[in-house]
Amino acid sequence: MTKKPSISNDLARPNEPAVLILTSLASGTKHGYALTKDIEEFAGVELGPGTLYGALTRLVERGLIAPVPSDDRRQPYEITVSGRAALTDAVQAMQSLANEGATRLRLRDVANPLLPAPNTPRLAR
Amino acid sequence: MTKKDIAARLLRWYPPQWSSHYGPGFEALLEDTYGSSSVPWRHRFSIAKSGLLERAREVGIVGTSASGNARLLAGSQLVLCGWSLFVVAGAIFAKFIEHWNDPVSSPHRALSSVSVAAVQFAGTVGVLLVLGAATFVVPSVVRLVRTSGWQSVRRPITKSALAFLVSIALTTSVALRAHFLNYHQRNGGSQSYVALVVLAGVAIIATLATMTATAISLSRQVDFSRRLLRNLSIAALALTVLMAGIALGSEIWWTNEALIAPRFLDTSIGNGIVYSSNSFPPPLLLMAALMILGLSMALVGVTRVISGIRHDDTIASPATPH
Repeated sequence: MTKKPSISNDLARPNEPAVLILTSLASGTKHGYALTKDIEEFAGVELGPGTLYGALTRLVERGLIAPVPSDDRRQPYEITVSGRAALTDAVQAMQSLANEGATRLRLRDVANPLLPAPNTPRLAR
Repeated sequence: MTKKDIAARLLRWYPPQWSSHYGPGFEALLEDTYGSSSVPWRHRFSIAKSGLLERAREVGIVGTSASGNARLLAGSQLVLCGWSLFVVAGAIFAKFIEHWNDPVSSPHRALSSVSVAAVQFAGTVGVLLVLGAATFVVPSVVRLVRTSGWQSVRRPITKSALAFLVSIALTTSVALRAHFLNYHQRNGGSQSYVALVVLAGVAIIATLATMTATAISLSRQVDFSRRLLRNLSIAALALTVLMAGIALGSEIWWTNEALIAPRFLDTSIGNGIVYSSNSFPPPLLLMAALMILGLSMALVGVTRVISGIRHDDTIASPATPH
């Protein structure tokens, strides 16, 4: 039996703000507004300013993201090495669950587990 | 109101330290998101909730970032706030039960007598406990004044002292005025007396609130030793047990009176405020509401104290190899 990676509660579910922010920042540095727009686009989740900044604060405190020095009032953030590691763990845990679900539902060819499942539902919050 | 004003106003929900770090970016996000349109109410509520949560986090009431000592202090402070509400609730109860045993025949008094005695005992022990805890804290406050100067504590202490003097003056006025009034006038017959009593009541509540705020403000500045914090936490746990006892005792008295002497609950002293009720007189409803709120705060405080004790125990005793 493979050991499940240990991940904190706020990274355990795909629609958690922390996961969405880390996923968004994985493709590059972004400020608050760019983050909300990107998350809305790829996950269909609308993060309010209070929720977004609450999650940003926690992620900065835990060293998973860091503010990037900027002259603009719009403060950009980048994912750190620890943030990448945490997101990797979270994605692998979700992937393992998704694979298990897909296999049991016979949504994909077991011989080709990397094949995306048809009609993947969008994340809802 | 300009966009900047709205953003600045919403930012007030957050603690100053948070605002200095995240404020400009947060304001820019609000301006970018809403432009010239107004911020929807659900987002305003979300911001308010998030800001209050940050404030609670900063003082160690919630979250895992606070140290064990910060959790012990925050938990004890919450219990103290809960106790303040119980003092007000207790005063309402004490006023309400004046002459309670007059209309009740002796055979039925036993349960009510025991519950009132239990409430009085728990109340007295609670007051002694708070005074004892305050005595333990005094040397640390004196050290703070010596090192940081009087200026650091002047404002909260002056406020408390002023509020206390005003309360004493008003309470003395009530006592002096009552001396020249008859029973009817003292119990609603004299409007000016009623106004004076209400004013004195408000002043006493304000004094209690100011003193609690002063205690919290001072305790945040003082660097307590781990041992003292543990002792304060134990006092807070004991105080919570006493609060639960007071709540239970007063509820038993209320229920018993409703069964054996409902007329007393109907016609009790209202200090001139007319009310009609059966078994739910407004003063007792207010008392119950304050007790529920106070006990809830104390219970949250207790969970925080326990988490503070556990947190530092984990640090103090790392896993030993088997």
